[in-house]
Amino acid sequence: MEQQKGYKQELRGNWWLKHTFFKRYMLREATVLPLVFFLSVMLVGVFSLLDSVQFEAWQRLMAHPIVIVMNILALIAAFYHAFTFFELFPRVMPIRFGDKLLPASFIVAGQWIAVVAVSAGFISLFLHFGGAQ
Amino acid sequence: MNRLKGLHLEPLWWGLFSAGGVCFAVFVPAAIIVFGMLAPLGVIQLNFDQISLWFSSVWGLMFIGVVICLPAFHAAHRIRHGLHDLKLGGGLLSVIICYGAAALTSTAALFIWFY
Amino acid sequence: MSDNKCTVMVQRYLPESDSHAETSHHAAQVFMQSFEVPFDESTSILDALNYIKEELDPSLSFRWSCRMAICGSCGFMVNGIPKLGCKEFLRNYVTGQNKAELTIEPLAHFTVERDLMVNMDEFLHHLEAVQPFLMGDTSATIVNKQTPAQLAKYKQFSNCINCGLCYSACPQFGLNPEFVGPGAIALAHRYNLDSRDKGKAKRMPLLNEHNGVWSCTFVGFCSEVCPKGVDPAAAVNQGKVESAKSMLIQMFTGGN
Repeated sequence: MEQQKGYKQELRGNWWLKHTFFKRYMLREATVLPLVFFLSVMLVGVFSLLDSVQFEAWQRLMAHPIVIVMNILALIAAFYHAFTFFELFPRVMPIRFGDKLLPASFIVAGQWIAVVAVSAGFISLFLHFGGAQ
Repeated sequence: MNRLKGLHLEPLWWGLFSAGGVCFAVFVPAAIIVFGMLAPLGVIQLNFDQISLWFSSVWGLMFIGVVICLPAFHAAHRIRHGLHDLKLGGGLLSVIICYGAAALTSTAALFIWFY
Repeated sequence: MSDNKCTVMVQRYLPESDSHAETSHHAAQVFMQSFEVPFDESTSILDALNYIKEELDPSLSFRWSCRMAICGSCGFMVNGIPKLGCKEFLRNYVTGQNKAELTIEPLAHFTVERDLMVNMDEFLHHLEAVQPFLMGDTSATIVNKQTPAQLAKYKQFSNCINCGLCYSACPQFGLNPEFVGPGAIALAHRYNLDSRDKGKAKRMPLLNEHNGVWSCTFVGFCSEVCPKGVDPAAAVNQGKVESAKSMLIQMFTGGN
């Protein structure tokens, strides 16, 4: 019996431009790019702890307008990542009690509460104790 | 069955990506707000001696773990898979460069802590 | 029938007229054909295709069977999104007063055999490979009982009708046809979670491969298009947890 070969179109690197869903996926993945910037300046900051003069230089670097803008972008990226990441978690690890499933919204809310708690704790720690003695 | 048959490191990279993803979502925003916004804008004063003291404790180790090392592996994993998705790479070379960079970053930060 | 008219653009491919059927240059033999189809609130895409075949062009080829979203035969790309023809309605593609417009193409990421018919073997051989059946005790005296809780664990994943829409949605499958894919992995997971099944160790080696669960990046479009709410993305990513455990165990004990 003769095999019909048919045809198949090969996917090109721009497949994700074809649908909003895919564009949002690429945006979600791209949130790590501002993160890489923040990690770089944090690494510089860690290195600057070797010397108080270097530390002050790092603080001036962090106050540079472009750096502040990039860090705001990193914060937006962190929140978009969190928003998408928290939605995935209950699907990877569904929590069940007998035959009842814990609603995904509970798990999502719990994760956001953790973000708020950690952030509030960290910020107030530095507000009260990070300054000059 | 041979213990190592068909084994590869994907679960490791995925595990680090997942842990790093939790850190990126839960701990990194706080770090950005404090060090990237409140401190440079003068709302928070950073005292070198106090920061150095905290950093040299176990808290400093945990800090670089959740704010630098794990997010670095999270970023590496996404960049490596992103290159594959864009048909720009994603093969062995991408794996070495991406996770290698994350490993170097982590080592550098840990080195300072131990120093 | 009211005077609502829908412009239906259909992608055609007639291999008997394709002198390049054996090679890869098919562009000239693939063409869009436009049809005017009357419709009302109840007209589905499948109804439209049958109207075209019966009244306008009998050469148009497409698969269908149950008309009620349970057989999985009538998958097409509708305006670029994988859908079941019997489950989509022309009333959702209205562009103006009494007018509608839509484009129908064959399911993406599969080889097109003719018009809207694709070669489903590319999905079916992955499905076969995960051994999607209960592998239980060979003793014939065992009575398989299951509590509601045990059923709840896998029930959602058992709703799969093998329609293949998830494969058309999945860019990782589009980039790499060796990826076992959302549907097959969801079914593997369905059996691994079934308390009556004893075959998990036989399925894990395939799932543990690069082309198993590890090709997935949780794009999630598969779950978005699934007509039965299976959520294959959840199954594949739960599969990553299982695979990680399985590979760790294998490293220490040699079994999965």
